[in-house]
Amino acid sequence: MELIAGPNFSGRSEALMARLRERAPAFFIGPHAEAALSGLSSTVADEIEIYRAPKLAHAPFTPLDFAAYADRKPPTLSGGEQVLLALHCFSLSCYAAIGVDTALEQLDPGNRERALIYLSQDTAQNIAAIIADNRADRVDHVVGMTVREMTSTEGEFACDLAGVAHLPSRAPVTISVQGLSFRYPGGRDIFRDASATLEPGSAYRLTGVNGAGKTTFLKLLAGVLAPDAGRIELDGKPYAPWQSGNRAFGFATQNPDHQWCGATLAEDIARRRSVLTRRDFNVPPDEALAALAACLGVRSMDQHLYELPLVARKRLSWLWPFAGVMPWAMLDEPTLGQDRATRAALAGAIARLTGSGYGVVFITHDDDFASRIAHRPLTIADGSIG
Amino acid sequence: MTPNGAVAFTLLVIVGALLARDVAGLLVILAASACFALASRCAIWSALGWSAGIVLPLLLFMSVVWVGIVGRAPHEIAAGLEGSRSAAAIHVAVICLRLFVIAFTVQVAFLHFAGWTPLRFIGALALPRTAKKLLVLTLSLIDTILQAVDRARTALIGAGLVTRRRSWRNLRHGWILVQTVWLTVITIVLGRTRDKWPVEDTLARLEGTLAARAVARLSATDFGWMALALAGAAMGLRSWS
Repeated sequence: MELIAGPNFSGRSEALMARLRERAPAFFIGPHAEAALSGLSSTVADEIEIYRAPKLAHAPFTPLDFAAYADRKPPTLSGGEQVLLALHCFSLSCYAAIGVDTALEQLDPGNRERALIYLSQDTAQNIAAIIADNRADRVDHVVGMTVREMTSTEGEFACDLAGVAHLPSRAPVTISVQGLSFRYPGGRDIFRDASATLEPGSAYRLTGVNGAGKTTFLKLLAGVLAPDAGRIELDGKPYAPWQSGNRAFGFATQNPDHQWCGATLAEDIARRRSVLTRRDFNVPPDEALAALAACLGVRSMDQHLYELPLVARKRLSWLWPFAGVMPWAMLDEPTLGQDRATRAALAGAIARLTGSGYGVVFITHDDDFASRIAHRPLTIADGSIG
Repeated sequence: MTPNGAVAFTLLVIVGALLARDVAGLLVILAASACFALASRCAIWSALGWSAGIVLPLLLFMSVVWVGIVGRAPHEIAAGLEGSRSAAAIHVAVICLRLFVIAFTVQVAFLHFAGWTPLRFIGALALPRTAKKLLVLTLSLIDTILQAVDRARTALIGAGLVTRRRSWRNLRHGWILVQTVWLTVITIVLGRTRDKWPVEDTLARLEGTLAARAVARLSATDFGWMALALAGAAMGLRSWS
């Protein structure tokens, strides 16, 4: 297995693609769904069929019971499950080489270890694996890994996270979830009579295996999904964001492209401002938001959001959680694609946020990152939050 | 039955329904479709309900216009006759029953293959490779748009621009949702076509998968159902003449 290491914007993704092109055709798993799955299949069963070779070339990698997922639409799987599905498809295919660009960072510890061990069996499995992964330097059980170090500076999109989240203290807002039940149509119970209380000024880390319902919990709190039963309270008052809209959480989604409200940064800010000010939120002036965006690495308000490199998009997705408009910040896998220095600086910013009385809920499989933040763990398993 | 047989049966029923000019003829064709539905053991009530759901709004609208307001059938107007509301009602019934038969048959044909994946179904069709690939790509684009709608809703609800339930805010910002959906579709498609598909040669793999799916073009059962559809269509024509 070949690891392409280096800081952000050092050209790791380009180097990985160049290595894959040398070995083309080669399987590719990009950092997000559109580049992890083929996009040609309406069901998981079809996705597998597209790649299945008449004769097995490698040992099958089957971390999940994909037969149980056969009729599901691939985009409805969680981020981690999509990566596992892609790895399963590769294992059934006749490709000799595979490139994985940061996607393994989305896997829970057990699945990540299984995937790394599988990909590292070059000789036994006849696999040439090339990966870009910000956490691979901490994997000491992977033997025979060659490291190609990329060195260059961030340049245009360099960020300064030391300059963010210096916010005045704000009134605490407690969130209480009681008797929460939820299931996707035709799916299993994600939550069954689950309850939790989130105290302000604290950081909560959601953990659980891939597909447990971590992102679903955030979507329920933000009003993107409506629970089948149960209630949420904000300081003891009923809060139903699925009816009245989100007024508690600055939400940074796992895939940053799930949160833009405009084509450019200026457009995104203007649209959010018009709604937030109408609902009596105190939104910082454009100059302050522009300064915050600059700290996150984007220096032009006219920057087209969809044209940004993925790492820069991910960083910019933290703008609203760190703007201090909402009393709580939600960060779904904030470290995806981020190098060690950025992860450390992000942990510092989250600590400053909680120090000012804001609440933070974050999802990460990165224990090293989580250990840098004083947090309370919340584990989602078997329909409960504990 | 093969997918080719189902498509042929459906096409014959559709042609028969288009040629039938009175209610009796359409009922005969509907009976042929119902036989197919019963033999397929598919969810016939679901197919009936789905088809009725499509036709009922049209039935209501046409009844108001032709029976309530105009009060004459189109052929009576063309012939300069005084006409009657009953003739207008028959005209409305023929149009709506024709649409109902088509919707019902298409639904039943799909339900017959409910256990098949789209790729398996398309792969079994007797079509040129390019046409099959185009069908898969069309389905892929539809799925991509649905995925983009989901993403865009997540973004706008999370930002408070729209809500899950119906609201004025949703109406006011509906155009932002449309813009976000299209930007997202473009991003997703570019992500695939720039990186994943070229390095994997994914479309070539798809072609291989579709070729491996090829099955017998038509079976004996197919010919039986096609004969029934033809007979229904002929009877529909006869009652018209």
